[in-house]
Amino acid sequence: MTPKVWPVLAKGVLLESVRRKDLWVVAILGFLIVASAGALGMFGITGLESFAKDLATTVLSGFSTVLAIVSTARLIPEEIKNRTLYPLLARPISRTDLIIGKYLGAVWTSWISFLILGALMTVALVMFRVEFEPILLQYVIAKMMGLALVCAITLALTLWMTPSAATTLAFVVCFGSNMLVKALVLSGQTAPEGTKVVYQVVNAFIPQLGLFDLGGRASNTNWGPVPMWVLGALAVYLVLYAGAMLALGSVKLRKAAL
Amino acid sequence: MKRIRGFAWGPAVFGLAAIGGGLAVQPVREHVVVEGRHQNLNIAETHASASLLGQFRTSISGWLWARTDLYLHNGVVMRPLTEAELKMGKNGQGAHAHDHDDIQEEFNVTTEIPNAEHDFRGIFGDIDRATKAYKDMTGHDHQNPKQALPLFRLMTWIDPYFIDGWTTGASVYAMGKNQEGYGHAEKFLRQGLVHNPDSISILNQLGFTYLARLKDYPKAQFAFEQSIQKSQKLRVEMLTEGDQESLEVSYRFLALVYRDTGQLEKMYPLLREGLKRYPHDIPMARMINTPPAFLAPKAKEKP
Repeated sequence: MTPKVWPVLAKGVLLESVRRKDLWVVAILGFLIVASAGALGMFGITGLESFAKDLATTVLSGFSTVLAIVSTARLIPEEIKNRTLYPLLARPISRTDLIIGKYLGAVWTSWISFLILGALMTVALVMFRVEFEPILLQYVIAKMMGLALVCAITLALTLWMTPSAATTLAFVVCFGSNMLVKALVLSGQTAPEGTKVVYQVVNAFIPQLGLFDLGGRASNTNWGPVPMWVLGALAVYLVLYAGAMLALGSVKLRKAAL
Repeated sequence: MKRIRGFAWGPAVFGLAAIGGGLAVQPVREHVVVEGRHQNLNIAETHASASLLGQFRTSISGWLWARTDLYLHNGVVMRPLTEAELKMGKNGQGAHAHDHDDIQEEFNVTTEIPNAEHDFRGIFGDIDRATKAYKDMTGHDHQNPKQALPLFRLMTWIDPYFIDGWTTGASVYAMGKNQEGYGHAEKFLRQGLVHNPDSISILNQLGFTYLARLKDYPKAQFAFEQSIQKSQKLRVEMLTEGDQESLEVSYRFLALVYRDTGQLEKMYPLLREGLKRYPHDIPMARMINTPPAFLAPKAKEKP
């Protein structure tokens, strides 16, 4: 592996994203956010602070996850389709380097989109004089880690299946995993003692994307900041799960006959 | 040319089939459109666009409704206990008995995220409890419901036919226990009546506001009478579950109004009518069998 090439590859992904005018999508979504905020303002924001923050974090999470999936899903399949992968691999880089570089590029792109949307959202909230608490900063950090996990899952899926199937499955996993975990937790509470190991194993395999969403805590009042060990644990989980996903992708790409 | 003619047959046949189908389903209209209902209520049954818009509005107002419950619990997501949990003898984490009992009843509810004792997830569960709005909700209090008032305004603006939004919103207005709040509640319910003139629940809530809050007996009597009258206009099976409950309450309260204002000649027929429709209603049964205070034997004086 040659870590030196990773930032170069990542920068290429970012430039490609700008060239493809992906950020226009972000701008349109941002416009929608501000327009919706204006409509909300018609009712007077007094008393709606929690609702405004709740809406802001929900929309921000949803839009940024969609953008992360869509922008990551096409990275390697398009390189293969356009045959631009061959000159890339002719250089002294391994296939694992390629995956890691692409992954970092996808993460940067999704983070930039998220921060742009977040900035527009902040403008909308400031207009309504909504108070900001330190936990909102933690929300941003945790969400960025969550987006990095989304990118890893999507990238791994695109290497194991067709692009459309990978995109669909990524949407299902990213938006459905939380629901699945909730169902497991609910049924696990009344499950016989001996079967709880099964629940634990199944739960360990499901990506715990819901843990990275501090929106519910950030949008309501008087919830203190999350302890730092929690953010540390989330970071460790991200490294382990994303690492596993990238390793799976790497195994597939290394075996693939290009 | 032949090909074009061939293509023209398709739309022509489709159009004729559509017209024929439309004529064929016309007789169904009388079964779908309920006479006596406000035309706004029927429009969703007869116009696809109105039905779609209605679904959208209902979804949004339903979501906002769920959100108000969330804000009352300061973001802590609650859920009802499952049947399996009830069988296991698990207790809910209900609210204080005195706490805002106008708004909702909470008995067998618990937090969606379980406590550490009941959570099989180990560290994942610990992180979940730390990153979400979570706390032990046993005997919990609610946030000031006034915070949710703009949401009630919003949801009833989006979906003016959302009856629970009007009635619960009025209860929240009245919680201030002052004349200004009661006035707002009355105004809010009157707005609701403009959109839902046949709503038994809104009329019942309006009657309750006049009776219990504003102590205006004539207006309360009128509202309860209207509530009962509207129910007679509709087929019983057309009443929603909420309306059926409200109607029962309207009978009880109107009987009380009649009793307290000395209109006994109206009270007994009303109670008989009410018991015919709600044979198992204990308060009405008690009232009809209890002699009026001035006829009742005087309590013996203690020696």
